[in-house]
Amino acid sequence: MGKYIVKRIGYMVVVLMVLSFIMFMIYNLVPSNRAFTDANNDIKTLKGNISAEERQARFEELYLQYQRRYGTDVENRVIRYLRWVGVYPLYDGSFNGLLQGNLGYSYDYQKPVLDVVADPMKVTIRINIFATILALGITIPLGIHCAVKRGKWMDQAVQVVTIIGYSLPTFLISILFIWVFCSKLGWFPPSGMKTPGSNFTGLAFWKDSLYYMALPLIVMTFCSLGGMTRYVRASMIEALSMDCIKTARAKGLREKLVVYSHAWRNALIPIVTLVVGWFLGIFSGSLVIEQMFAINGMGKLMIDSLNKADYDVVLLMQMFYVGMSLLGNLIIDIIYGLVDPRVRVNK
Amino acid sequence: MSKKTPNNSSKKKGNVLGRWLSRWFRGGSNQLAEELEKSAAGMDKEELVSPGKQVLRNFLERKLAVGALCLLVIMFLTMIIGPMFMPTYSDSYTEITQKSVPPTMSMMKVPKELAKDIKMIDGFGSFTVGLSNAGKVYIWGATQIGTTGIDIADIPQEVKDAKITMIAAGIDHIVAISEEGKIYCWGNNRLGQFGTAEETLAAGGQLNPNIAYMPEELATEGVDPSHIKKFTCGYQCTAILMDDGTLYLWGNKLTYGNMDVFLNAAGLKDIDFTLNYVVGLNMKRDSVYTGTRGLYDVAKDNVSGPTQKTKDFLNGRTITSLTASSSSVCLLLSDGTLGFVGDFATNAIPVPALVNGEKFVQVVGGSYHYTGLTDQGRVYSWGSNTQGQTDVPSEATGVSRLFSGSFQSYGVDENNSLQAKWGLKGYLFGTEVHGADIFQRIINGGKMTMTIGAVAVIISAIIGMIVGCLSGYFGGKVDILLMRVAEIFTAIPFLPFAMILSSIMGRMNLSENMRIFIIMCILGVLTWPGLAKLVRGQVLVARESEYVMAAKSMGVKEWRIAFKHILPNVMSVILVSLMLDFGTCMLTESTLSYLGFGVAYPRPTWGNMLNGANNATIINAYWWQWLFTAMFLAVTTICINIVGDALRDVMDPRSSVDK
Repeated sequence: MGKYIVKRIGYMVVVLMVLSFIMFMIYNLVPSNRAFTDANNDIKTLKGNISAEERQARFEELYLQYQRRYGTDVENRVIRYLRWVGVYPLYDGSFNGLLQGNLGYSYDYQKPVLDVVADPMKVTIRINIFATILALGITIPLGIHCAVKRGKWMDQAVQVVTIIGYSLPTFLISILFIWVFCSKLGWFPPSGMKTPGSNFTGLAFWKDSLYYMALPLIVMTFCSLGGMTRYVRASMIEALSMDCIKTARAKGLREKLVVYSHAWRNALIPIVTLVVGWFLGIFSGSLVIEQMFAINGMGKLMIDSLNKADYDVVLLMQMFYVGMSLLGNLIIDIIYGLVDPRVRVNK
Repeated sequence: MSKKTPNNSSKKKGNVLGRWLSRWFRGGSNQLAEELEKSAAGMDKEELVSPGKQVLRNFLERKLAVGALCLLVIMFLTMIIGPMFMPTYSDSYTEITQKSVPPTMSMMKVPKELAKDIKMIDGFGSFTVGLSNAGKVYIWGATQIGTTGIDIADIPQEVKDAKITMIAAGIDHIVAISEEGKIYCWGNNRLGQFGTAEETLAAGGQLNPNIAYMPEELATEGVDPSHIKKFTCGYQCTAILMDDGTLYLWGNKLTYGNMDVFLNAAGLKDIDFTLNYVVGLNMKRDSVYTGTRGLYDVAKDNVSGPTQKTKDFLNGRTITSLTASSSSVCLLLSDGTLGFVGDFATNAIPVPALVNGEKFVQVVGGSYHYTGLTDQGRVYSWGSNTQGQTDVPSEATGVSRLFSGSFQSYGVDENNSLQAKWGLKGYLFGTEVHGADIFQRIINGGKMTMTIGAVAVIISAIIGMIVGCLSGYFGGKVDILLMRVAEIFTAIPFLPFAMILSSIMGRMNLSENMRIFIIMCILGVLTWPGLAKLVRGQVLVARESEYVMAAKSMGVKEWRIAFKHILPNVMSVILVSLMLDFGTCMLTESTLSYLGFGVAYPRPTWGNMLNGANNATIINAYWWQWLFTAMFLAVTTICINIVGDALRDVMDPRSSVDK
């Protein structure tokens, strides 16, 4: 098992490196020159009577200085990339890259990217934990029920509803729900995170934010309902058709025991792996839902940064997303290996 | 029973495609079945059903899936054939007077009581107002004014009580003059469409320097209706011209840049509004007067052709009256001919040449068209024909007066009853914020959405099949390498990555077509790993089968076995997966365009048509702007998924055993 895990982690590191290289190169396609902008700004703030030539000379000097600081004094993209990662020395011989903890600087917020990301991350995690718990609480019992009562009207109805659920794009479901629940019924506020101008603390704060979170939560749950219910149903049907179930029934065990003890345990293997991978998604945030409901989470930060061309934030978030998805794959593989020894043997 | 069809191409050696198709859909064992049937002719035998037929039978048993398939086919045909029936459609069509019109077909529906007793009809925007000789006001068309909550059809009680003698409609207000000369206005007055300065102050408001308020004496004393020469409404303005040349003009100065010139003007013979200018007819100088030098001082005798200086053009004739449309003015000259100033669309229908001394006696103007009546009672329409405004029906004879709405023309006979009406009936699905017909945009946008989905799927299919086949058949190092590459692609978070690429492309000065093509490529390149894994799995199974063994033993080349023997046999599963991928690509494209990172306006796609629906106010007030598009998108993707799911189920032998 240890060897297997090491192998998987090795793969993951390689993939991460390749992807970070691709990302960096794409990011470098953007026609922007930070050193030039900064040097220009510094020159503009320069006071006193300076002749044009001297100004030009000072500019050249500053420009070179900034280029050296940002590591853009070489045209070679690979060296720039290595400097960004932090394995190739800058002009003065020091290292200042990702590995040294320099994650970039947001020009729009005028602070390090890590500080920019911190608050949206909290919001996203808070909402996503609720959404995940809610979704699992609904989909697992529903999936089991449908698998046991396979072919009955209830199962067929759920099948149709789930197909509709995963055929519709998230933004469409959001629009529909806003229309029905905000405009027509007036049950929920259409957007925002708290009552404007309010300054609640303690319990009142939670009540207020729950009220505002309710509709995004419902939409998020509804969106994930379709795929997950079908997945649970499929793996449960698989489990119910196993020989051990026939044996259990032949022994005369109660149906409840057969379903919830024997079959469910066998069905659990694929489900658990999926759920674990899913939990990592709580950090990422939904681009569409956060945009629709004006929730200041990771997704909205991403779109805002893209629109403002704040590419340091975008690059870091992209790397974060990639890392999360790779980590998710790794954990799924490892857990699969743990619960199902055959996987390890096959590899 | 397997039946031999004469077209079966399995015997034709040359027809590779036919053989492929036959194997995909009818299965390899089909040929075997035919052989058996031949050898066992005349003997009692067990029924043999090819897997393809079995799949078809099982599929047809599923009513829901068959229904979905029919719907899907209809949808595809509509999107492919539909645009051919819309020759006048243009992506960038905008029409300021038809912004956000709800779905209605009543824009030409003259009320029955009015149709027998018409005094006048007027319209500028999405609604039309009519007046009967009995002095009653009728309003038809789309009467809701934007998000203001004002319904222009709510005629004030005092207007209902009064006997109205003249009426005119602007874009969102109506002005009526009663027999006693009192002026009534209703509708939207937020931009000074009506109301005097005093009234505004009395209501606690502040005076807006961009508004020319209604003259005080008009509100208190009224006008003498018998001395009104011209009474007309512009976009958010109103003008009353008296016989003696006195002009009352009020409204929003921002819409008409040259309004100040006319506020103190006197000595006008005629006045009208285009969309941007007030145009007047000067009593002394016989020319179109706008107060702006160089504008409208050349004229021509038809909608296209060479222009002349107005003085040379007139050549002794005088201008009797003028009628303005959105961007041009039509002059009725003293000898019964016409003159035109201003701009016309390049495809505008020209004025027919009159023969036998026929003369125009009346010309009315809509938004982009004119309708003229001659002294012999014939009616002609010319100008833009985007909404059928110039298609004069044959029953338009015996007309004695003409009226026009924005895109409609009405012909009234001597008994004041409606003889003919033609033009825009309304919009089936309403219009969007720029005034374009949503139905037309849905059809054309569907074509674009489906094209993007299809091209993306083809790209993904080519990559996925090659990689999957190589990886599955050759295994070993090739397999490990290719699957690692696929893993890299699966690790890329789809939506953020596509957004970044699209955003970077947006800063790189690419043409829109190039951008769309790159979006297709992004979608295709990011979706292939799933397909590659599927193909690999299928090939792994097929690799062990007898026919591959047979091919190997015959010395067939490796790549030939992989691509010509195995691939066609696993094709049916791949096709189903491609179909589901097509649905996913359409959804992704819509989401990208919705977020503003996909195809940009004015190109319609189902995603960017929903772009405006991003806050509760618009979602509620302009429900038609997203509901219909959403329905088309939803129906298409739901159908694709239902059919794809059903196909996958019936092709999976295990599920058919279970049933």
